[in-house]
Amino acid sequence: MGGTDVLEVLNHQFPGVIRNYQVCYENEFRCEVDPGEIGRIARFLSDHLKMPLVSLFASDERVIRDGRFAIYYLFTLRPENQLWQFKTMISEADGIFPSITTEIPAANLYERKIRDLYGLIPEGHPDPRGLVFHHNWPRDLYPSRRDYKGIKPLRGKAESQFTRVDGSGVYEIPVGPVHAGIIEPGHFRFSVAGEPIIHLEAQLHYVHKGIEKLAEGQSIEKCFYIAERISGDETFANSMAYCQAIERIAGVQIPVRAEYSRVVFAELERLVNHFGDLAGICTDVAYGFAASQFNMLRIWAYQTTEEMGRSRFLRSVNRIGGLRRDFLAGKEERLLQQLARMKAELTETEELIKANSLFVDRVEHTGILATEIARDLNAVGPAGRASGLKIDVRRDHPYAAYGKLRLEVPEHANGDVNCRMNVKISECYGAMDLITQALSQMPSGEFFIPIAGIEPYKSALGYTESPRGENIHWIMSGPGDTIFRYKIRTPSFCNWPALCYAVKGNIVPDFPLINKSFNLSYAGNDL
Amino acid sequence: MFQMLRKIVQYPRLTVDYPRRPLKPADIIGKPEVDGSRCNGCGECIKRCPSAAIATGVSPQDIGFNLDQCIFCALCEDVCPTRAIRITSDFELAQKHRQDLRKEALREVSPSTDARPSGVDAAASIDEDSYELMGRRIEERLRKKLGRSLQIREVDAGSCNGCDYEINATCNPLNDLERFGIHFVASPRHADMLLVTGTACRNMELALVKTYNATPDPKLVVAVGACACSGGIFQESPMVRKGIDSLVPVDVYIPGCPPRPQAIIYGILKAVERI
Repeated sequence: MGGTDVLEVLNHQFPGVIRNYQVCYENEFRCEVDPGEIGRIARFLSDHLKMPLVSLFASDERVIRDGRFAIYYLFTLRPENQLWQFKTMISEADGIFPSITTEIPAANLYERKIRDLYGLIPEGHPDPRGLVFHHNWPRDLYPSRRDYKGIKPLRGKAESQFTRVDGSGVYEIPVGPVHAGIIEPGHFRFSVAGEPIIHLEAQLHYVHKGIEKLAEGQSIEKCFYIAERISGDETFANSMAYCQAIERIAGVQIPVRAEYSRVVFAELERLVNHFGDLAGICTDVAYGFAASQFNMLRIWAYQTTEEMGRSRFLRSVNRIGGLRRDFLAGKEERLLQQLARMKAELTETEELIKANSLFVDRVEHTGILATEIARDLNAVGPAGRASGLKIDVRRDHPYAAYGKLRLEVPEHANGDVNCRMNVKISECYGAMDLITQALSQMPSGEFFIPIAGIEPYKSALGYTESPRGENIHWIMSGPGDTIFRYKIRTPSFCNWPALCYAVKGNIVPDFPLINKSFNLSYAGNDL
Repeated sequence: MFQMLRKIVQYPRLTVDYPRRPLKPADIIGKPEVDGSRCNGCGECIKRCPSAAIATGVSPQDIGFNLDQCIFCALCEDVCPTRAIRITSDFELAQKHRQDLRKEALREVSPSTDARPSGVDAAASIDEDSYELMGRRIEERLRKKLGRSLQIREVDAGSCNGCDYEINATCNPLNDLERFGIHFVASPRHADMLLVTGTACRNMELALVKTYNATPDPKLVVAVGACACSGGIFQESPMVRKGIDSLVPVDVYIPGCPPRPQAIIYGILKAVERI
């Protein structure tokens, strides 16, 4: 189904509703609709065209669009590599937009976030509670509006409200924000009867740093360094998504060598992350020996990363228009050697853990995320793939050099910890294979092309498959090479609600294990 | 079982003997240095530095770094037209006083001046007396007591998670922090030291102060990374603080974005005066 086909279907279904249709950068399809129409369009897209909602955000465009806010709804048609953006405009005086959460459950948190940060009310939203500020912020001060002057109001006194589960023998376990391990902060409220978890509510946004707001008005160069620091362990995936969006707006094709190099670094980052997750899963079932094996692999991956890109987190490797240096020149042999060593060790370790029935017993049938829920919440990355969703941005919307490389998307359907672990193991082999392919195909030549003087008020998407999954950045440029609006949608934002479903019915001691099998970023969610 | 034993024989010991044997990493981004004789005072590095970490002293050529703010992006090296700035591989940068990391004088930020505005209420703020006591009278005894066996609680007060992964890496088979008698504990009640990462963002202020108060005296606080030292790249956001020392007193500052695991070990050992 091409872009015009979707348009035809929509025009047939909703005559005269779709306005200002245009195609940008080959796969971005844009149109405007009235706020009142978006609910039924969203439902039609999701039910009939199987297009999931992948982002929903507001933008304060009062200064450039005669006093109106814009709300963007982003849907993807993955098999056809199409990204559809539906824009609605609402006036400041109205201040309300119709909620689509009851039709599209994935819209829930996006709409609550818009309410907190922009003060626009999602009419008909089933959950009136605040999301971002934990009641320490007045409900009539909206920090993402452009006229917010950076005032720090006094802290309010109200307590956070959690969903209560009533019944005899039901009790609550509050955990966090400061956890027992060395991890990021978040509060988990378990409602438990005996051992099984009836309900889990995760209160996040403890590390909300106002990144999207901070980016506004900054130079595109400075904002690059902010993008690198959205989520530490996904530095490269985020910086690459940022760079791709800017490169699209500038209309620049980066040199082929840079495209291949980006693939190599992105896959190295995946290796580091997946080895860490596998080590964590083993730690959480008290399988110390296997954890040490994976930790050793992770150390090797870190050392290789640092040797190739002079930074353990691949910071300052990327750059708008290509790479900072021709990092891989002369290091190809060394990289292949290191990969061979990791591959051999991973193969042996995989055999070891899978031969251990005690271990397999713990991970099988634990923390099942059902396919329908995964689809409804748009669960992405290894979590989505483990639950039977055959999605991968690298294949569905090829970027950098991925379109020229062979990529297997692992297929699993049980949605338990075991499946997520197996997806990650096969992605480790996949990453090694992709690096090997990229190195053999990579041409010599330029690794960077300068970019400056980008057109203001032009928007574009940057998307990558981070180690945690689909990562979508939307950028609108401002005057003088600045950022007007930067919307970041990391995979963690989609997968946190999925995690809360996956733990239901499991016993509390299995929560750390299930949590680790998702291994979501708090920083990437809270922004 | 046989396979497991084989692996144990195959990899008997991975741990490196840092700091007894200094680490000499070849190509990493460590402390930036400036060669004053080559600087032409054009100010390009100051203008472009993403975290405003470069400052001038008496003359435009008298350039220096505020390492507490530096995010070690190495952009200054790239943009300098006269190649006056060079990135070294020096990573052992932790200091006990924030001013020692800076070229510019630090604007006075103390627990009493900046702690309240964004609203940690009085009941949850730190007890000035106990801090004064700790600072003045028992410092010497404290170091002796904590020097050989140290229990650490880590608090992420708003990092990007980079620093937390590096703190995790101090416990991996390569670095094995436990060989110094240093352990991470699950509760602040069991801790002698708080290792704090992140900017102390608004939603974490209260949790950080409560964790501090829950840690028994005497205690040490180590700020890990640019965000905890100064707010780092996020310092201009109204949702964060310019360093955690405006909320809790800090004993050692470890710059870096993120500091590598050995830099964190160096900082921890410095705090208990074992280096």
